[in-house]
Amino acid sequence: MKKIININFQGRVIPIEESAYETLKQYVDSLRKYFANEEGRDEIINDIESRIAELFSERLKRGSACIADEDINAVISSMGRPQDFEETGAAAENANTYQPGPQPGANFSSGTYTTNNIARGRLYRNADDKIVGGVCSGLANFLHIDPVIMRVIFVILFGALFWIYILLWIIVPSQSLQTNITKRLYRNADDRVLAGVCGGLSSYFNIDSWIPRLVFALPLIIGLISATMNAIWWNWDFGFGPRIVTGSLSSTLIVTYIILWIAVPFASTASEKLEMRGEKVDLNSIRDTVKEDLENFKSKAEKWGQEVKQTAQDLGSRASSFGQTAGSHARGFASEAAPLARRAGSGIGHVIGVLFKAFFLFIAGIIAIALFAVLIALIFGGMAAFPLKNFILESPGQNVLAWATLILFLGVPLVGLITWLVRRIMGVRSRNNYLGYTFGGLWVVGWFCVIFFIGSFSRNFKVRMPVEDKLAISTPTAGKLYVTVDRSNLEYYHGDWFGFRFNDEIPVYGANMDTLMLNNVRVKIARSKDSSYHLTRVRLSQGNTREIAIKNAENIRFNIDQQDSLLLLPEGFAVSSTDKFRNQQVLVFIEVPVGKRIQMSDAVNHYSWFNINVNNRRGWNINYDDYNDDSYSWDSNTEYIMTPDGLKKTSELDPAELKNGRFKVIIDADNEKLHIEGDFEDKKNKNHYRYKQLEDSIKEKVKDKLREELRVKDSIEREKKLKEIIKTSAANRKEENFEDNEEPSASGSRILSPMMIFSDIVN
Amino acid sequence: MNIENTQSQMRKGILEFCILSIIRRGESYPSDIVEEMKGANLNIFEGTLYPLLTRLKNADMLTYRWVESNSGPPRKYFSLTEKGQAFYSELEATWKELANAVNALAKKTDSMPDTTNQNPSF
Repeated sequence: MKKIININFQGRVIPIEESAYETLKQYVDSLRKYFANEEGRDEIINDIESRIAELFSERLKRGSACIADEDINAVISSMGRPQDFEETGAAAENANTYQPGPQPGANFSSGTYTTNNIARGRLYRNADDKIVGGVCSGLANFLHIDPVIMRVIFVILFGALFWIYILLWIIVPSQSLQTNITKRLYRNADDRVLAGVCGGLSSYFNIDSWIPRLVFALPLIIGLISATMNAIWWNWDFGFGPRIVTGSLSSTLIVTYIILWIAVPFASTASEKLEMRGEKVDLNSIRDTVKEDLENFKSKAEKWGQEVKQTAQDLGSRASSFGQTAGSHARGFASEAAPLARRAGSGIGHVIGVLFKAFFLFIAGIIAIALFAVLIALIFGGMAAFPLKNFILESPGQNVLAWATLILFLGVPLVGLITWLVRRIMGVRSRNNYLGYTFGGLWVVGWFCVIFFIGSFSRNFKVRMPVEDKLAISTPTAGKLYVTVDRSNLEYYHGDWFGFRFNDEIPVYGANMDTLMLNNVRVKIARSKDSSYHLTRVRLSQGNTREIAIKNAENIRFNIDQQDSLLLLPEGFAVSSTDKFRNQQVLVFIEVPVGKRIQMSDAVNHYSWFNINVNNRRGWNINYDDYNDDSYSWDSNTEYIMTPDGLKKTSELDPAELKNGRFKVIIDADNEKLHIEGDFEDKKNKNHYRYKQLEDSIKEKVKDKLREELRVKDSIEREKKLKEIIKTSAANRKEENFEDNEEPSASGSRILSPMMIFSDIVN
Repeated sequence: MNIENTQSQMRKGILEFCILSIIRRGESYPSDIVEEMKGANLNIFEGTLYPLLTRLKNADMLTYRWVESNSGPPRKYFSLTEKGQAFYSELEATWKELANAVNALAKKTDSMPDTTNQNPSF
């Protein structure tokens, strides 16, 4: 008794026995694989199918009720199987004298399935199931394991096995191999909660389906427990390491699930269900499965017994294969040598081709992996920085854009890439092209989101405005101001998202859900125009308009505290999520009068400084670094003293002179020791505090004088020589008696010593 | 070196020439081509013929015409293009040269009966 089904074949309804249909399907699939790399593949397959349809029609016209197994076999033997094309070449002139020997992979003859044991003992590359060169697939076939496992091994040990792969690619001949393992990853439609991914995984790895389910559900469970505990005890911190780790783990699992959902097909037909379970796809087992489906019940013991039997059979066949391998070892070598020798002739071109292809794939692979890493980093970086979004984003629209950017612009290509990789490794042929179009379309939308997001984001940083305050400061009694940072200000223990404190390299040194701590502060020292200390605080901020920028700047709380000689600066300032981060900055100017001292503690170095520049022609661009000109650089933990010529290290000055209200500095200019000395009272230019210029002008003048000196020396030399020449010529002629006793001392007296130059300038 | 391989190489080489010489005589249906070749004791699988025809068609050697059939789907009837005609003439010339050369060489071997006798190792 056989079941007859109707199929639509080349636009015609054909009644066909189910077993015959399976044979036909396998045959067409084998052709499709065989012609996979042929240019007009679809056309060839279509032509062949047309011809088969024609043969079927003739058959049915002759009065057959349906297409039976014999008909299919007749059709197949007249059309020829892929291995016939391969082995007999294009035409078998005399089929009687030429019997193809046992062909590797020819595992069905005349439509009846025989066990596949022909490919044993010899290593081939698999021409049918390949990603690069079919090496992994061939090796897997040779070792009777799943090609997926082999591929995973090769991918993981990419670097080490790369050359082995190339070598095998070149040496091992290619063959069309029928797969000897039939297990594949499918989603299980019969055993599913959400999409059947876990069910499919469990049948693939032969484990109970609750195990993968638990793994995938774990982050959810942990989250639930954590949330419950949080609700009961407000200070419960259910931590498995920093939250960024658990967060990325759970998102990885979720992404994995979604990718498997997309990449892995449902096991819908009987043969696919068998493949999912790793049973052999033949007529008996298909019938078994159908029966199982119908009864929908099978005793577990029976199943287990079958499994044991299967394993035993497997082991037996493996042992026999081993024996056969050993037996045919010598033969194998001999036959291996033959194709090698054949290859040697046309081999060079082949080798170059393979090497070129390998190189290309290698580069492409590296690029793909790098791209992949960058995407992963961007996504997880984006996720990690996402709590900061409250401080940056303003309107709900911007929030939506930010989410869309993260998901569409970064997430979509990542998921697409992984899906593609999984499909390639699993050997799943894409059934639906719309998946690619969907990904492409979503990514284009992602691009628009990025552009709009950057546009609206940068508008918030368009204008930069300062708010300047003069703060009262009293002159310290000791005549020295010690500047330090009060670090005990603000500490956040609870709810610190990142799980660690930031180091001093970035201007953000702490963050939680509603407050962002910034230390975007710069301390500058300038020279006071009168005899007292002055303190100026400039708060800067950016914003959409001038008003908003000023408002943002005014919202910065940065209170400076003075305790006689101690000037206490706060550790930083807080930006709340309502204030938003608009690159707030604080500049602190300390004006030190001449003769007074100042010292910065090491803690001041903790401040960072960075700028966001939005180049916008309409925007105001105030460069507050203008203050640089009026200020001096300083090292922390060093005592400085303000001199009329600028800030000097106390250690550089002569202490004895200092006591008398005078200063003496040694400047090293062009290896000439230059002694600077003077009073603290600057008589000549009272308002001149641009020491840099002064120093430069001194150096310039020194150089000028030195040059002058050299020129004078040169001219004297030249004069001397000239005179000697004249003298000798005069002596030779003995006509004139010209004497010149003039000493060059007069011009020599014009040479100025550096000492004199300096005194010229200073006095 | 195995004999099957050499034989299949020889057959492969002349296959295109044989097919073109059948189509040259008029519009042909692939399965008719197979029948004709069978008649000439040259067995060929249809599965081998279709890709070859497609390749020749894509190289503009052949063109085809759809003909309605009362048994099954419409049929493709192939015929030679001008380019195919030229290609065929060249192949024909080559074939004649080759056949002459091979026959001449084969006959020469026949005309040297001494070799086998002088060499006892055979």
